[in-house]
Amino acid sequence: MVTNAAAVTSDRRTQLAITLVDVVGRLATGTTAMIPVESPAEVGVVDAWCRGNGHSVLAVHADAVEVYRGRLSDLDSKIPTERMPGRRLWLYANFHCNLACDYCCVSSSPKADPRALGVDTVAALVAEAVTAGAVEVLVTGGEPLMHPAIDEVVGICAAALPTVMLTNAMLFRGSRLRLLDALPRDGLTLQVSLDSATPGLHDAHRGAGTWLRAVEGIRVARSMGFTVRIAMTVSRRDDAQEEQVRQFAASMGISPEHMVVRHIARQGEATSGIVLSRATLVPEVCNGRGCLVAPCRGHRPGDDGEHRLDAPRSEHRVDPRGIPRLPPSR
Amino acid sequence: METLVVGAVAYTANVVPIWEGIRDYFRGSAVEMDFVLFSNYERQVDALLAGHVDVAWNTNLAYLRTVGLTAGGCRALAMRDTDLAFRTVFVARRGSGLQGLESVRGARVALGSKDSGQARILPIKFLADAGITLDAVTPVIFDSDVGKHGDTGRSELDALQAVLSDDADVAALGITTWQQLKQAGELGVEEVWTSPAYCHCNFTALSSLDEARAEAWTSHLLAMDWDVPQERRILEMEGLRRWVRPELAGYRSLQEAMREQAIPLTW
Repeated sequence: MVTNAAAVTSDRRTQLAITLVDVVGRLATGTTAMIPVESPAEVGVVDAWCRGNGHSVLAVHADAVEVYRGRLSDLDSKIPTERMPGRRLWLYANFHCNLACDYCCVSSSPKADPRALGVDTVAALVAEAVTAGAVEVLVTGGEPLMHPAIDEVVGICAAALPTVMLTNAMLFRGSRLRLLDALPRDGLTLQVSLDSATPGLHDAHRGAGTWLRAVEGIRVARSMGFTVRIAMTVSRRDDAQEEQVRQFAASMGISPEHMVVRHIARQGEATSGIVLSRATLVPEVCNGRGCLVAPCRGHRPGDDGEHRLDAPRSEHRVDPRGIPRLPPSR
Repeated sequence: METLVVGAVAYTANVVPIWEGIRDYFRGSAVEMDFVLFSNYERQVDALLAGHVDVAWNTNLAYLRTVGLTAGGCRALAMRDTDLAFRTVFVARRGSGLQGLESVRGARVALGSKDSGQARILPIKFLADAGITLDAVTPVIFDSDVGKHGDTGRSELDALQAVLSDDADVAALGITTWQQLKQAGELGVEEVWTSPAYCHCNFTALSSLDEARAEAWTSHLLAMDWDVPQERRILEMEGLRRWVRPELAGYRSLQEAMREQAIPLTW
């Protein structure tokens, strides 16, 4: 975690230390609390304190750091074998993108170096993954449809293992529509990013007019016979907003099992979000059935802001409607 | 052998997973155990004396009160390695010029709860031993967590806060609180003086507890292994690397302090 902790005055650091000893000292192991911070540099102080005392920074929010009592690595033993990192092959097909989302964890944009994977490389990687026991391939980017040979890339993947291609669904026209049409329908799911049921929040992160085009893209893909999954990226859990997206998805004929909710990761362009670890790659590693850990919803010390993660409260449990939640954002 | 019942004080939510872990560790051993949680150490000592629990996880003050109330009819079974060398640290604002115990004379001294060995009773004794009686300083008292014998650390944090806000010149902290605080980096306070080592908590039983049961239970406790992940998790939560046999000489300073300050055996 790169922050200039030295920029924090010694008095402020002492104040933070008092708060941490007090608040984290009252937590049970496996629960979290929010520690208010006033600057990015203070995140470094909290992180240093956590490391020194055997605790973990779970997530960094705009005005607070979410601290987990204990080591997140202690949760590794609870990750089901079939969901351990390494069981799914993530292919970053290319890094350039038609969008420049403010939370993109790999800083993709129209200006990014494409760094596209060659078809032969993909074939070798997929073959190796199959041998190693991988169970699924996820093709992401950047925007994969900007890869000139994405049809071949996805074709190789889907022929070997169930495959998901992550897309913003905004390029389904002209030559790229023909590329899309060349993708297999069997063994492939298109995962489309849609952060809200109305344009406001989605466009705020991804750019004006992006929501409408994504929705058009979803309809196009479905009309072409693709299985479409919606991925909603959130900074904090919000049941009402999730329900709105769920209902909107249903109105387009997308069932609840084809919707995922994932958290913004504090990587790339995102200055706040969850801090990546095995345990926070949930349900990426847990398939949405018994989240090991997930950021809470903005509680503060003193307002019942404690959440047991390995025996979760309702907001950390599997959504009763069976909706998996997939951090981090891409 | 019959299940042994251990009492502990619930000073933080983490006490529950700690004692569930210890209870589970004893499952299948020669003497299994269960636990009962109390809201304060006075209730726990009462329960030990009444035979409601077989063993009490006591602070140093609770242990010495048990010694006093039973006229020595009790014994310590085990303690944490960290209990062997507990210390009190006096801290002041960085650059205050205060250094050494003598420099505390005339200062405003922030002290913790009246039943905290590390933050109140022993600091007063250490000052007195250096010839600095309470009327030679201005005590600033924080009775923030009475009943918990300083376990929460709350009164120590209040004392430190008083130094930060210039309501006191010096604060008395337990070494574990001080070590935790220092992990944040260079603080606005620094050590003025560190006390000699003294003992803190122990498992206390009445002399009437069957020797074979006590020894079987203690032996299994001492076998808890830092290198076994499940056992290490318990040890880490409770703040030790290994359980050890008690060394009672480490209670002498607190025993003297209780006598000098006329601290009653119960309140």
